[in-house]
Amino acid sequence: MDTIVTITAVSTARDSAEKAIDNAFSEIRKLEQLSNFFSPDSEISKINRNAGISEVKVSPDIIALLEKALYVSEKTAGAFDVTIGPVERLYDFHRRIKPQEDEIRKNLPLVNYKNLIIDRNRSTVFLQKKGMLIDPGGITKGYAADRAADVLREQGIKSGIVAVAGEIRTFGLKPDGKPWKIGIKNPRAKDQEDDIMATIELSDMAISTSGDYERFFIADGKRYHHLLDPRTGHSAGGCKCVSIIAKKGVFTDSFATGIFVLGPEKGMKVLEKLGFDGIIIDSQDEIHMTPKIRGKIEFKKTAEQYHFS
Amino acid sequence: MSLRKLLSSTTSADRILFLLLLLLSFSGILFVREVLPGGRTVQIEVNGRPAYVLPLDKDRALTVEGPLGKTLIEIKDRRVRVTESPCHNKLCIQQGWVRSGTIICLPNRVVITVGDHDKSTTVDATTG
Repeated sequence: MDTIVTITAVSTARDSAEKAIDNAFSEIRKLEQLSNFFSPDSEISKINRNAGISEVKVSPDIIALLEKALYVSEKTAGAFDVTIGPVERLYDFHRRIKPQEDEIRKNLPLVNYKNLIIDRNRSTVFLQKKGMLIDPGGITKGYAADRAADVLREQGIKSGIVAVAGEIRTFGLKPDGKPWKIGIKNPRAKDQEDDIMATIELSDMAISTSGDYERFFIADGKRYHHLLDPRTGHSAGGCKCVSIIAKKGVFTDSFATGIFVLGPEKGMKVLEKLGFDGIIIDSQDEIHMTPKIRGKIEFKKTAEQYHFS
Repeated sequence: MSLRKLLSSTTSADRILFLLLLLLSFSGILFVREVLPGGRTVQIEVNGRPAYVLPLDKDRALTVEGPLGKTLIEIKDRRVRVTESPCHNKLCIQQGWVRSGTIICLPNRVVITVGDHDKSTTVDATTG
């Protein structure tokens, strides 16, 4: 997945913990091979190659992943969309490349989750328009964290953490009986000293964060970052970071992106409806939080540069 | 008694003593800050297993053996860096000096973390 995966398992026996962790890593590797956007051998690439041509038979994991993706698209009115591929690939944040406006305009009609057709019974996926591309990067890591946690539990591990980059899935309690303590990154950290702005204690929950500081470049005083609005093809401007807390990593990962794109007002409404917890720092440095999170989160001194709305 | 009266009633010996005391207390603060250990450690993991936990404030260079070969690590002036690595991309070396946080060499499976001794301030994972 071209990222760092950390697995922590609590067990009384070292052998069984190591075996469980090995199996969890294998599960993540398997999902990576199925879903890699850049590998021509992945099932996602097969679907993309056959866009507008034919449906493609895929494994149950890809069906489950894409079904979840469509659910999130519907709940966010298209602010999250795995068919973002044709627009996403016009940008290169590493090499500071942004597309011309007419390039975006040409590719934008290809971005629409409603043209992604899943047939669960026959286990097939079809992209209706030629040129459509699925890039599942905004949901795969969370899904992989869930699957790895499932594998650990199937192997008898009672508690642990799976962290696939910033998508974190916790289960059970630490050996000292306390919940897991998760740090939330400061979106405008100046150095590594003020890297974390808050901590939150979680058990049997997942947390993910989407931020405009992860992959970005600044040109003409404007910040171009990887959280693209599927409806405009431009970087979404309403937020600096969004953290979502829910039971499953597949949802925290994807909703963090979707809510970021929706912006603070609409985003908070969607969270309320879903019953998910979340914390947003908007572009004006205001902190928005769902009510339930207030008692659980502990802000560090570094969060003083942001204010409560 | 006003400050002026107080000052006029002191002898020059008093004033020198006063200055000396002032100097001593400030140098005490500096001494504690600069010389005594800052309670920070460098943790080095190789191939998923802890290899070393070292104080950050003792300068040294050391070598660890990963799957690809030897990684050279230097601790100096409360900073840590990788000076040599057998990996192809050398991202770990490019990262340069690190005061806190992590240097990761994925190819040679070396993870260097600068952290606090104090467990209560550390987190189990970070999102973002």
